[in-house]
Amino acid sequence: MKRTSRYANMLALTLSLVLVLSACSGNGGANSTNTGANAAGGGQAAEGEDLTYALATSPDSLDPHKSGLAVASRVYRGIFDNLVVKLPDNTIKPWLATEWSFSEDGKSYTFKLRKDVKFHDGTPFNAEAVKFSYDRIIDPQAVVGNAANLLAPYESSQVIDEYTIKLNLKRPSQAFLSNLTIPAVAIVSPAGVKKYGDQFGKHPVGTGPFKFVKWDENAEIKIERNPDYKWAPETTENKGAPYLDSVTFKIVPEEATRIGSVQSGQALAAETVPPQNILTLKSDPNFQLLQVNTLGLPYTLFINQKKAPWNELKARQALQYGIDVGTIVKTLYLGTYEQAWSSLTPGIFAYDKSLENGLQPDANKANQLLDELGWVKGADGFRVKDGKRLTLHYVDGTPNREKRNDIAAIIQQQLKKIGVDVKIEITKDVATVVYTNGNYDFYGNSQVNVDPNALYAFYHTAAPNQRPTLPNFSNPEVDKLLEQGAIEKDDAKREEIYKKVQQLIRDQAVIIPIYVFPYTVGAAKSVQGLKFDLVGYPLFNDVRIQK
Amino acid sequence: MVRAVVGRFATSLLVILGSCILVFTILYLLPGDPVDTILDPSTATPEMIANLRHQLGVDQPFHMQFLNYFGKLLQGDFGKSLLNADPVLPKIWVNLPPTLALTLAGSAISVIIGVLLGVLSAIHRNKPIDIIARLVGLFGISMPTFWSGILLLLIFSIHLGWLPAMGSNGWKTLVLPSLTLGIVGAGFIVRMVRNSMLEVINEQFIVTLRSKGLSEKVIMYRHALRNALIPAITMIGMLMGEMLAGAVVSETVFSRQGIGRLIADAIMAKDLPVVQGVVLFSAIMYVIVNLLVDISYTFIDPRVRRSV
Repeated sequence: MKRTSRYANMLALTLSLVLVLSACSGNGGANSTNTGANAAGGGQAAEGEDLTYALATSPDSLDPHKSGLAVASRVYRGIFDNLVVKLPDNTIKPWLATEWSFSEDGKSYTFKLRKDVKFHDGTPFNAEAVKFSYDRIIDPQAVVGNAANLLAPYESSQVIDEYTIKLNLKRPSQAFLSNLTIPAVAIVSPAGVKKYGDQFGKHPVGTGPFKFVKWDENAEIKIERNPDYKWAPETTENKGAPYLDSVTFKIVPEEATRIGSVQSGQALAAETVPPQNILTLKSDPNFQLLQVNTLGLPYTLFINQKKAPWNELKARQALQYGIDVGTIVKTLYLGTYEQAWSSLTPGIFAYDKSLENGLQPDANKANQLLDELGWVKGADGFRVKDGKRLTLHYVDGTPNREKRNDIAAIIQQQLKKIGVDVKIEITKDVATVVYTNGNYDFYGNSQVNVDPNALYAFYHTAAPNQRPTLPNFSNPEVDKLLEQGAIEKDDAKREEIYKKVQQLIRDQAVIIPIYVFPYTVGAAKSVQGLKFDLVGYPLFNDVRIQK
Repeated sequence: MVRAVVGRFATSLLVILGSCILVFTILYLLPGDPVDTILDPSTATPEMIANLRHQLGVDQPFHMQFLNYFGKLLQGDFGKSLLNADPVLPKIWVNLPPTLALTLAGSAISVIIGVLLGVLSAIHRNKPIDIIARLVGLFGISMPTFWSGILLLLIFSIHLGWLPAMGSNGWKTLVLPSLTLGIVGAGFIVRMVRNSMLEVINEQFIVTLRSKGLSEKVIMYRHALRNALIPAITMIGMLMGEMLAGAVVSETVFSRQGIGRLIADAIMAKDLPVVQGVVLFSAIMYVIVNLLVDISYTFIDPRVRRSV
């Protein structure tokens, strides 16, 4: 009997240890939640108005100037504000700035700022804060991030008086004002940055509708309403403090769990709904599906123009005819993603709608073009010229994000029919394979942006000392148009310029546009007023939860 | 016995040092650049990349990087995350309790189900209970953790709504993930206990005990089981390693905080200091568990006690 009791003791010990440990982690969470509620204070307790929002991945940092991840923007969007905002009709409206003017030479902008704005830490918002934020973005010693590219060609700023600031540019840019609307170039609290230093991304302080409360790593991030907020931009109806008490972002990487958490009521909304669940959620009366196409460059396969035989127009056109993009998009995304037709996404300024449905797959034309180039089909069905097989080196970065590996696999099958041997290389080391060595024929990429000037970085001839662009494309006419588009002040003319660019890119068969990425959110019916900004980031200002 | 323990301890330190070097080398040799995790390769300028590389010290030769890392390690500095400049050690401490709770609960479930079914199936050989136990064993071993995890989640969380699908606060969130982990371990233990029980039952000393007229219950539970448990306990020690690996999947499926999620995310992001820190930490844990398992033999088997 003594023995049995010893085993029983060991078991009891293990079990109690388990309980204590789980209680420990449980308490940790509960305590910090309490502090959050106390900090909210002020008796504003409209009880339980917390929106739980399941994210697909964990943000890296909530420092807008530092983070490069879209998922981080979705969280910090609510904490920070920008100087200006862009509306769906592509007009730019006031936010933290009330009005602005630009100099004749287009190289400086002067902004008048709101005088009634305070950061979450109580410090007043003013021209110094704007100067501090923008100088921080371009200072490689302060932060290293992608915001610097968005802020280019910003050079310096001058504080004219407490609420007036002049921004100086290195060269005129019509995209600059648009880019100031992107969350990554939001205004941060100078006092907050000084206080937290390189940990600012863990303790973000802004002027936004929500204040940061806590971040339990890999579990959740909580933000609460900023009761003083009254400077919302035109994108939201509610100009004052949000209706919600708080938003809790749960980090739920597993698709089934994320969607399941909405279905079982543990979360009120979940982002990035996979195509197979989109259809289920759409047909379920208890849920709503919110879908918004992101702006910028669609997911695009860039054809490396430097590598034979794809340096020849006819060869690239054969790819245009040989790849049935419509079938790929329908097969993989079950009709939930839109097919892309241009180098830009629909909805962005100057998108050329006339390109839609313009180019249809045609295997005969593809075969004919390759025949004309002297590529002859061999016994195995693949084409050969001068003893060399017609191959296409398709590079893709893992993992299978948005089924991009599957796109490669389908294209391999489709191009086999016209005699092209597609070699797929899936690598995590895209930086070396693609950007350093340029060892690819096909490489896919997409970019979120709000201005067609985004095309410049991809299609303008790279300067000799600069890294080559993805398609390695060089066309004097396109170069000239892109340069004009960057400075053209007349919107109508500017629109014409970018439409011409899109047509030239299509005619020169520089790329194969594949799909427009929709940001999808599945939410309970009770969630009302959830909106999205132009680049697809959620806005919680108007959200109410109907009991 | 003290000498033996000290010896084991020294070997353990060597194991930890070895894993430290191994991990550093593998991560160093892997293609890709930590700079890519911080900067978007499509937009970063060459100067930005060069600056950052210098700041991170990854432009130095291998041995310098290693010495640098190891020197700091000895001072208890596990480095900072590349992603958000968080120090690594506090990250591990925060994530440790939920993982410990998960692996301990998982192990407890494995042991309880495994030993119980293993013994019953050996005693009632070829009876229905034996067949059920063998099926459970087969199921546990052959089901991938992510699959059984999602299955449990669909049934108990989404359809029945009994238990939460995610989180790591409180005991309720522990049930499904630890069950997911426990099922795998239980599969192995059922088989192990059943086999060794059957072996022991056929041994001479059992026949002797029977002839002495001892009751079947006493023979089975006091004598046979005790002898059969030795291999099972080795198994449990090894399972702790499996548990840590399984925790990666279980924590991802059930969105728990923990060491498993921490390292999985760090690997995806090529956040080297975090990967190194967690691997080193896990190596230490693994070594300690094995040490404990070795010592626990002495309580169960007098022969081992004498030889140690």
